[in-house]
Amino acid sequence: MKVQIDKRYPLPCSPEIAWEFLQNIESVAGCMPGAKITERIDAGRYKGTVTTKVGPATMSFRGEVEMTEVDASARSLRLLGKGTDTTGSSGASMNLTARIEPAEAGLCTLVGVSELSMSGKAAAFGGRMMSTVGDQILKQFADNFAAQVSALQALRAAPAAPGGAANSAPAAAPAAAARQLNLLALAWTIFKDWLRGLFSKRAA
Amino acid sequence: MTATKETLEREAKLNGVGVSRLRKEDARFIRGKGTYVDDIKLPGMLFGAIVRSPYAHARIKSIDKTKALAVPGVVAVLVADDLKPVKLDWMPTLGGDVQAVLAGEKVCFQLQEVAMVIARDRYSAADGADMVEVDYEELPAIVDPHKAMAADAPIIREDIAGKDEVGHGKRTHPNHIFTWEAGDKAGTDAVFASAAVTVREEILNPRVHPCPLETCGCVASFDKVTGQLTVYITSQAPHLVRTVVAMLSGIPESKIRIIGGDIGGGFGNKVPIYPGYVIAIVASIVTGVPIKWIESRIDNISTTGFARDYHGIGELAADKDGRIKALRFSALADHGAFNSHVSATKLPAGLFSICTGSYDIPMSYCRVDAVYTNKAPGGVAYRCSLRVTEAVYLIERMIDVLAQKLGLDKAEIRRRNFIKADKFPYTTSFGWTIDSGNYHAALDKVLKAVDYAGLRKEQAEKRTKGELMGIGVCTFTEIVGAGPTKVCDILGIGLFDSCDIRVNPTGSAIARLGTMSQGQGHATTYAQIIATELGLSSDEIQIEEGDTDKAPYGAGTWGSRSTPVGGAAAAMAARKIRAKAQKIAAHLLEVGEGDLEWEVDRYKVKGNPAQSKTMKEIAMAAHTSNLPPGMEQGLDATEYYDPPNLTYPFGAYVCVVDIDRLTGETKVRRFYALDDCGTRINPMIIEGQIHGGLTEAFAVAFGQAIPFDENGNHLGNSFMDYFLPTAVETPHWETDHTVTPSPHHPIGAKGVAESPHVGGIPCFSNAVVDAFAHLGVTHMDMPHTAFRVWQQCKALGIDTR
Repeated sequence: MKVQIDKRYPLPCSPEIAWEFLQNIESVAGCMPGAKITERIDAGRYKGTVTTKVGPATMSFRGEVEMTEVDASARSLRLLGKGTDTTGSSGASMNLTARIEPAEAGLCTLVGVSELSMSGKAAAFGGRMMSTVGDQILKQFADNFAAQVSALQALRAAPAAPGGAANSAPAAAPAAAARQLNLLALAWTIFKDWLRGLFSKRAA
Repeated sequence: MTATKETLEREAKLNGVGVSRLRKEDARFIRGKGTYVDDIKLPGMLFGAIVRSPYAHARIKSIDKTKALAVPGVVAVLVADDLKPVKLDWMPTLGGDVQAVLAGEKVCFQLQEVAMVIARDRYSAADGADMVEVDYEELPAIVDPHKAMAADAPIIREDIAGKDEVGHGKRTHPNHIFTWEAGDKAGTDAVFASAAVTVREEILNPRVHPCPLETCGCVASFDKVTGQLTVYITSQAPHLVRTVVAMLSGIPESKIRIIGGDIGGGFGNKVPIYPGYVIAIVASIVTGVPIKWIESRIDNISTTGFARDYHGIGELAADKDGRIKALRFSALADHGAFNSHVSATKLPAGLFSICTGSYDIPMSYCRVDAVYTNKAPGGVAYRCSLRVTEAVYLIERMIDVLAQKLGLDKAEIRRRNFIKADKFPYTTSFGWTIDSGNYHAALDKVLKAVDYAGLRKEQAEKRTKGELMGIGVCTFTEIVGAGPTKVCDILGIGLFDSCDIRVNPTGSAIARLGTMSQGQGHATTYAQIIATELGLSSDEIQIEEGDTDKAPYGAGTWGSRSTPVGGAAAAMAARKIRAKAQKIAAHLLEVGEGDLEWEVDRYKVKGNPAQSKTMKEIAMAAHTSNLPPGMEQGLDATEYYDPPNLTYPFGAYVCVVDIDRLTGETKVRRFYALDDCGTRINPMIIEGQIHGGLTEAFAVAFGQAIPFDENGNHLGNSFMDYFLPTAVETPHWETDHTVTPSPHHPIGAKGVAESPHVGGIPCFSNAVVDAFAHLGVTHMDMPHTAFRVWQQCKALGIDTR
């Protein structure tokens, strides 16, 4: 089962700051609820895990993420992710193109175009919930991402600290707090969306 | 013989043919005393759990067992490489193909078997299965059979890519299995070219699954000391399983014992041989310990014998009065990743050419193209005698399409085309000889019973008010009882069946047959046949099936073949016993054999009825020295019965539906089913079979379907999605019958279990389409769920107030 997810998130920082942050896969992954980079294989390839709850099932995926087509002039890069859940009963793959677009007042927008493909139990059982769950996860991701880049922006704006070591590593601490997916809130939002879907006119 | 009060009383005591006696097996079933395969517990038994692929099409890069082997309780993990040394990583199928027992290089359908974890208990096995790490490289999947033979289609079966045939003629593409044709193509084309009227419709029989309550499973137990292999298994054909296991394992067939036990529904799902069985058997041979493997519900619906996925095109040519002049049907058959569907060697599309139905159609042609896709293998399950459901669905839908084109009544067009009662035996243009039938009488009886004219009047009135009411008519002819060995075989073994009867000195008897009950009531109906033939009470006739060490060889129970073939064997074996009994009676009464006549339960001397010997008396005498000179003791007989023809049960059904045009919801207001299965052995059991078959037909017509997404993900493999009607949804059934005995069957019986399913499905569809007929709708594909029917209403602009 394939789902196309296209999103735009306004960010409270300059395009340069957002682009710098975007290229740091560990930090970007830290913004994704339930996601973690566990190992760096080489320059563009990482191993990681994603734990998520879809419908009645908690699934833990492990796999590889590869960053390709890094285009600094367009501030665009592509992430290819692929994994299976730890019980071997589901598979998932992602093809994401992320781009930073300049916006008004020196700010910018994060543009994501992605195709998510699911196999096995995740598709059979989670399929009907996937776009709603996906929306919620991405909403939390965008919030975390915005918080991270504004922290980075603040750091860059502040006078350089002695030694300058802090400059190279975007603050990871706030991300850790956001890493756990807030399941209760998620369930509630999904329920509301489902209710809304039930009563809105269905296009056949 | 004239029936007197006294002989009638004696006959009643037999509880023989024609009596609605209670089922003998139910005493144990309703007390929970049945013995199903999962009830088998052997000392030291280990459990197997299968690791399955989440992908429909993927290359297996590596399999890591380490973590699984570390799970407490796990004893072994078997993968394809472990089966290779014993040459059991692949196995032959009942369709002339081969199938991977465990996928080695590639998986070709979702949830295909990749490994089996063997553990001390079921939980450890399941935990271990979760820990087997398989590294896959996903490949593009073919889900739509129409795309299977495209030039750039991915090759599903690399193992046979170079072969130009897989058992059934030349292949033209790596994803092509066979093309099969019957009839006269040129002659049919010529009739179509000059016909007054022609109709054409694309008609789908969607992929469904019979979903028996009990899933598949087995307990394999190999004794390393004696070399004896015993397998308790959910199989509708235990003897065929024994032969295949012997071929596969190299163990002498005499050292293999297959035991069917009680089976909780089969419907064709339990005919094929599944990888789970084979792995359990191999594991037991290797370890010398019993291994149990039981399938989960999801595994059952997703991977074992499904039904249909036939993408048909129906065409009829007729004159202006609606008399059919020619038929041209074709189908694209989606067999999944392996051609494992059970088929007679010469009939790869089964009995599809019965598609001329109950009609006198002088010219016909049909063609079936079978292809591989990345879906589970199978195709011919579900209360269907090898593609008969598909054939009947096509003709019964097409004759309605023709009626609508000509503005003819749907009952009238059938009357005009029926084979007339005086034309039997009738040979169809495809070459089947229909032994008997009386179609006009059956239809007239039904139309009268439901007040058909009144229903059509009511429908006309409702239409003026904008209400949707549909009347479905179906007058089907089935072909069951495979079959004559000259026509049908599986793996070279002819489809005869057998019965072995032993009469005890005190006049009770035990009979063993090569068939296998899965709930049909064989222990009752076979006993009734033998009771009437032998004059012994059916209460005292024990029936045993399914233990290959005890029962004579037979092809099992599927395709409604038990009564036509096994029942015939029972009657013929009983007649051999009666012939010997007559000799003994003549000896005891000191008369010539010709001076005796049979009366209910005894031989009596003609003209001197006081002089007689009952079968019970003869049974005792057969075990003494007081026998005719040279005669052996005992009163036993074995019959191997090769039927001269198949049997052709038929029926006339009418269904009335009311459809809510605002919601698309369909209510079955009435369903009237008249079945003619020839001689009726136990009317209560027949009625039960008809209720079950109609309920399954209702399920298929109104809700069952197995959807896949474009990656080949199965989207309906649990009861969360798969429709299984309960008493809440199921309509009320009215049943009726006529009796037209089969002239070639020893007692005139024809088989009945499949008729209501085969005839019921088109009847429901015909009713739903009929509700829209006045709006120009000629066909709607199943399932007729509220959403899909509402979509039709919406397309017609009648879905709002």
